[in-house]
Amino acid sequence: MSYSDTLIAFPSRRRAASASKGHPVLKFILRRIGASALVLLGASLLVYVLTINSGDPLKDLRESNSQNKQQLIDQRIALMRLDDPWYERYWDWLRGVGGCFTGNCDLGVTVNGVDVLGLTQQAASSTLRLVTVATLLAIVVGIALGILTAIRQYSGFDYSITFSAFLFFSLPVFWAATLLKEFAAIQYNNWIADGHYAPLTIVIVAVVAAFLLQAVLGGTRKRRLLTAAVVFAFVTVVLFVFNALDWWRNPMFGVGGVLVTSLAAGVLVTSLVAGIRNRRALYAALTTAVVGTLSYLVFAQPLFNSPSWLLLAGLFVLAVLVSVGIGAAWGGYARKQAMLITGITGVITSLVVVVDILIVHWSGFLGIKSRPISTIGSQTPNFTGDFWEQVLDKGTQILLPTILLTLVSVASYSRYTRSSMLETLNQDYVRTGRSKGLSEREVIVKHAFRNALIPITTIIAFDFAGIIGGAIITEQVFGWKGMGALFQDGLNAVDPAPVMAFFLVTGIAAVLMNLLADIAYAALDPRIRR
Amino acid sequence: MKIRRLSAAVAVAASGALLFSACTSPAGNDDPAEGESTATSAAADGPCKADLGDVTTADGEIKVSVEDEFLGYNTNTPETYSTYNSAVTERLFGGFWYFGNDGSICTDDEYGTYEATSEDPLQVEYTLNDEAAWSDGTPITYADYLLDWAAQAITEDGKVTDDGSETPLFNHISGLTLGDYVPEGPQADSPDAKSFTYDYERVYADWKIQIGSPFPAHVVAEQAGVSTEELVTAIQDLDLDVLKKAAKFWNEGWLSQPGEVPDPAIAPVSGPYDFKADGWEAGQYITLEANDKYWGTPAATKELTFRFVAADAQIQALANGDLDVIQPNGPTVDTVTQLEQLGDAVTVDTNQNLTWEHLDFNFNSGIFSDSLEAREAFALCVPRQKIVDDLIKPIAPEAVVMDAREVFPFQDNYEATVSESYDGRYDEVDLEAAKEKFAAAGLKEGEKVRIGYAAPNPRRAAEVEAIKSSCDQVGFEIVDSAAPDFFDKDLPNGDYEVALFAWAGSGQIASGENIYSTTGQQNYGGYSDKTVDEAWKTLAGTTDEAVHAEQTVIIEKQLWDTLFGIPLFAHPGVIASSSSLENVRNTAAQSGVLWNSEQWARAS
Repeated sequence: MSYSDTLIAFPSRRRAASASKGHPVLKFILRRIGASALVLLGASLLVYVLTINSGDPLKDLRESNSQNKQQLIDQRIALMRLDDPWYERYWDWLRGVGGCFTGNCDLGVTVNGVDVLGLTQQAASSTLRLVTVATLLAIVVGIALGILTAIRQYSGFDYSITFSAFLFFSLPVFWAATLLKEFAAIQYNNWIADGHYAPLTIVIVAVVAAFLLQAVLGGTRKRRLLTAAVVFAFVTVVLFVFNALDWWRNPMFGVGGVLVTSLAAGVLVTSLVAGIRNRRALYAALTTAVVGTLSYLVFAQPLFNSPSWLLLAGLFVLAVLVSVGIGAAWGGYARKQAMLITGITGVITSLVVVVDILIVHWSGFLGIKSRPISTIGSQTPNFTGDFWEQVLDKGTQILLPTILLTLVSVASYSRYTRSSMLETLNQDYVRTGRSKGLSEREVIVKHAFRNALIPITTIIAFDFAGIIGGAIITEQVFGWKGMGALFQDGLNAVDPAPVMAFFLVTGIAAVLMNLLADIAYAALDPRIRR
Repeated sequence: MKIRRLSAAVAVAASGALLFSACTSPAGNDDPAEGESTATSAAADGPCKADLGDVTTADGEIKVSVEDEFLGYNTNTPETYSTYNSAVTERLFGGFWYFGNDGSICTDDEYGTYEATSEDPLQVEYTLNDEAAWSDGTPITYADYLLDWAAQAITEDGKVTDDGSETPLFNHISGLTLGDYVPEGPQADSPDAKSFTYDYERVYADWKIQIGSPFPAHVVAEQAGVSTEELVTAIQDLDLDVLKKAAKFWNEGWLSQPGEVPDPAIAPVSGPYDFKADGWEAGQYITLEANDKYWGTPAATKELTFRFVAADAQIQALANGDLDVIQPNGPTVDTVTQLEQLGDAVTVDTNQNLTWEHLDFNFNSGIFSDSLEAREAFALCVPRQKIVDDLIKPIAPEAVVMDAREVFPFQDNYEATVSESYDGRYDEVDLEAAKEKFAAAGLKEGEKVRIGYAAPNPRRAAEVEAIKSSCDQVGFEIVDSAAPDFFDKDLPNGDYEVALFAWAGSGQIASGENIYSTTGQQNYGGYSDKTVDEAWKTLAGTTDEAVHAEQTVIIEKQLWDTLFGIPLFAHPGVIASSSSLENVRNTAAQSGVLWNSEQWARAS
């Protein structure tokens, strides 16, 4: 793709890398912020003028047949200051925004007399809640799929992922939402009332899982068959056992489950980052998993009895610090690498612990909310549950929109990653690496993947900025009021204040994300630092 | 649909609630709009709310959809006025009257009673229930009604309005109309009187729905820094200092930031429901809970939650139990099909409501302006039955072609009115007769007829198509002249031969005068007929219901004979509710399915 072309065009920057004076990064950031502020100012003027000319704010009143029509029109004109010249109104808006720097923000009021600042805070937090998880998921899944398809270029797996990527990318969101609501909400809720799979369903699920996994893992025909057989057997047995235990309604995972999962995560992370032969790294990861599980037992009391977001955040920070510490202690010559591995393992272990706690609370949650997955809203009205049940409630509410947004963005991320990865895999340095005997893991993870990430960073940054304002349809079909609704309602009423607030948030997000992308560039690509 | 909301606005403006009525007492006992859905409710055979006997509030929550955010306690300001806001606030305030489900006026005797003590000059006496009190314990009294009058009577410079056209002091959505009719204001012995009288300056046909629900005067007085008695005196003496403070609070003090439930100290209620503390989540829902201080029949279910959901998400939400009652705005055939697919879990009811579609001729210019024969030729070729059969019946099977303008097919007096005013001559398309009239009018083959309406509107596009395929055979050339700004530009400029739009039932008996009389503000086409003008004057100048009925027949007949326009159909409406609910009843009124929500109960 064109992004990597630009990189290849400036190979000579490498030499200048160390010859820096003062704080070039700071200077660079300041220069960028300054330029962006000017761009934002110009754009705000443009958006303001476009908004107030986008329609007739008196339209509904002109069509009115009320006896005091003229009075209503006069009131509206006074309220929206339609008789004042546009530059005065713009200037006052700008002054209000300027007040944000001195601590008294004023973004105006809507035509309904609602303070826009408060409205924007609500809308932004709602949208961020909606898009953050979806974006993170989409990035992780999309990049992983992209790499896998690039490595297995032109395999059946590659073709099916390519096919589904295009399918999801071109999916009309409202239609996909309707399907999701039907199958993932209504049908699921009908099913969970009983919570048992029919034998035929189990067989079908197992066959599908077996087929998918052998396609992903690949190998010779014999190996594929073996993979499929093992997966089939495993899934069938697990599902029958779940049925027998009534697991879907009374699930349990337990400390054992936490330990096994985090150990597995440790092994996986090690094999990806350092290679399984690096024993120090492996032991570091395994130690982290064990320590994490043990500390789960230690902190179980507060986690179950007096949970709060503050406690969770504190424990999470603690977990990361301890994990990194373990990495540092075990690290030896590759201390940094080991710290990375244990850090990631620690994060995964923490997540597994949270999942286990949620699983414990699931049956209680079902007792309060018998149809757990909702089709609308960001929370169940007047939901009365303890902390973890509240988390489950918000989680189940956010599930469908998150799946939808993820599916759509995964498509583009996986495509970009795939092509970028293919391009780097064809580079000379990859061939050189291979010919000097580096393992395939090292070639892909260290040399190809890292370089392939550079163009993706730009796309992710832009995407994140775009997604804040771009979830309009998703918001609407799932009954969330976020930035999309703010913009849409404002524009429909030809009401500049909410539209400008939308512009401010998305504009600033775009600028910030771009800046972050540039900084990330520097971290990923030494040639850019100078 | 735009105009529908607007005229709904007028209804509220004039009356504090929404709807049309042309009829008399709520005594009729056949009820064509009722379906099976109410089979479980006790004695629901009149248009008014059923008498459920002793009701005790049951725990539980009923979730109903509205399409937009709640805006504020005072729904009568230009900022907050919307159908969706009224859907919530109408639960909070009691009143002397409400609209029954066919548009007739029903009284709420638990709140109080009222009667005209003199017909000409018109004098109306209101008596509140002795127990009637705000949820903070303060009795509802004359003071509240005096403030309600002041908000609709006093001008910016502290005078009582002369003709209703001045700039008002209070930003009341209905302007100064009340002050125009009752310049003296309501009269009573003392500020805390439970009985008071309105003296109308001139006879007003719609006196029954003129007085709406008041806001608490004691709260406004406190916020203005005076006692309730002082506020009453200030209104009576037109003391501008106090009035300005009161108006400031009235205009702004009740606005809400989304998510912040109004403080009970400034927002007491007088209806069966009250705000629930912490029951409002911005952009998501607002929950009301039964008002335990309510003196009348209590709400049947403790909590009523309004979830803000767009129309296209409502059906699946109902299927999933996220909502219990829905009334999708602008229902289509798909809406009904999807709802029916949900099976027994959901009760669906369709009806015709008080918004009606019609074709109006342009009398200011064009081929129809001075030729009755040309209008007749057009009327003879418009396939009214086909339009209803193809476009409306799939949604509401009970739909019929509408043969009147001031009465609706589901109202008791429809048959009587139509049989005397219309002989059925335009029921069937008659191309031969149309061609004769066409020739008699001296029109030539290929005469262009622009049918204007507000785009986009797929249903109206289909109507125009049906008209085109029929009328083009007569010699007209029908042009679909839809425009997004039809009401702003084409209609006022007269760039159309035929206008296609809908009126919403306006809430007043005499509101049609504005449409059909020569000087009427809404007489967009410039129609003028002496008989009609005369009849409206007679109708509007009396409170006698027999005269109203008699004049309506005269008006309808003359409008048919001179062909003001062609009525088509009443808009279809759809409600659906979870089958576990009882007493959910459809209504033709603009107040929508929520009209009897305090009676909804979950079957035990």
